[in-house]
Amino acid sequence: MTGLLAAVSEEPTVHLTSQTRILAAIIAVAFMLMILELIRRDRLQERFSVVWFIAGLGMLAGAIFPGLLAGVADVMGVRDTNVALFSIILLLLLGLALNFSVIMSRQAAQITRLAQERALEKAREQTRSGENGGEPSVRGAATAKDDPDG
Amino acid sequence: MRTLVFIPAWNEADSVATVIAGVREHLPEVDLLVVDDGSSDETAARAAEAGATVAALPFNQGLGAALQTGYLYALREGYDFCAHLDADGQHPPAEVARLLEEVRADRADLVIGSRYREPGEAKSDDYRPTLSRRIGTSVFRFFLTLATRQRFTDTTSGMRAANRRVMRLFSENYSPDFAEIESLQLAVRQGLRVEEVPVRMLERVGGSSFLTPVHSAFFIFKGLVVLLVGQFRPRNGEAGGEPGPLGKAGVEQ
Repeated sequence: MTGLLAAVSEEPTVHLTSQTRILAAIIAVAFMLMILELIRRDRLQERFSVVWFIAGLGMLAGAIFPGLLAGVADVMGVRDTNVALFSIILLLLLGLALNFSVIMSRQAAQITRLAQERALEKAREQTRSGENGGEPSVRGAATAKDDPDG
Repeated sequence: MRTLVFIPAWNEADSVATVIAGVREHLPEVDLLVVDDGSSDETAARAAEAGATVAALPFNQGLGAALQTGYLYALREGYDFCAHLDADGQHPPAEVARLLEEVRADRADLVIGSRYREPGEAKSDDYRPTLSRRIGTSVFRFFLTLATRQRFTDTTSGMRAANRRVMRLFSENYSPDFAEIESLQLAVRQGLRVEEVPVRMLERVGGSSFLTPVHSAFFIFKGLVVLLVGQFRPRNGEAGGEPGPLGKAGVEQ
């Protein structure tokens, strides 16, 4: 058992052939070009693209310097470089998903407020035109304006 | 002294006109606003026919957002007091008048109409909650009392009266997901005087409760999470203090 573990630790577990490295680099470059194209066609806003460029550059760096991943795994204290790679990717995706939840929450709050403002505007229009037949609008723009919260 | 009574309504076309007529009868001096929460039926039209002002949300946003719309309208239009009741007809308008008396007399900032009288004192024609509702109610009652150190019996009551301090707070900070419980916790934490008044409630005229047992369990779980998170929100001495980033989101833009 101990002999087996020793054998694993001595032998690098990831063998990147030059072929796979070239493929990984091509994918990384294509990925970043795709991000650029999305920005160019207004499908993606710049502020959301930064993290994807960093991911693309990370992929490219991993393809060009095969020793990088092994070094990172060593710093993490992980024997298997595959495990290190997957852990890093998982954590990044988790962080990204959380980030999107935060953005979604903010936008949901903004959409709600927008809907409310529109509803209030309609209600004010109705009271001003006196459609409801009850008391016509004694309140006008003045009461709405003198409130500091408005 | 101007008072607004608002009615959040979602697909309550059958009962909304009756509720409006009831409010007009018992509270002739108030202005009436129906917040139509993106109904797909004739709720908005019926409410306008019955003589209420209608604030129609373009799509369904949930009870919290609808209530917040009412508070926002009351605040912006300069009302001194406001009250709200459900559109399904289970809240007698006469009882709303009693709640309003409490805030007008400045005995409280926020008054909740509680459907529960003193425990064990229920009368035969009183509101009868279902079993899952009773379990949920006692769980919330326990934890809200724990969180606020104030005794509440009806934590999910949709019949309330409030003054301008509450309008200011609720128009900025109001959870769209979990309106009733979190708002009570928030108001108490902000140092507002919250009071409960026992009221009679009736069986609903139209519509149906959204609470199935699975819903109830989820509802309770969500409520507990919301209460727990609420305990870690900053406590301000002054009502209407710094709103959270979500509460402020719309105003910033």
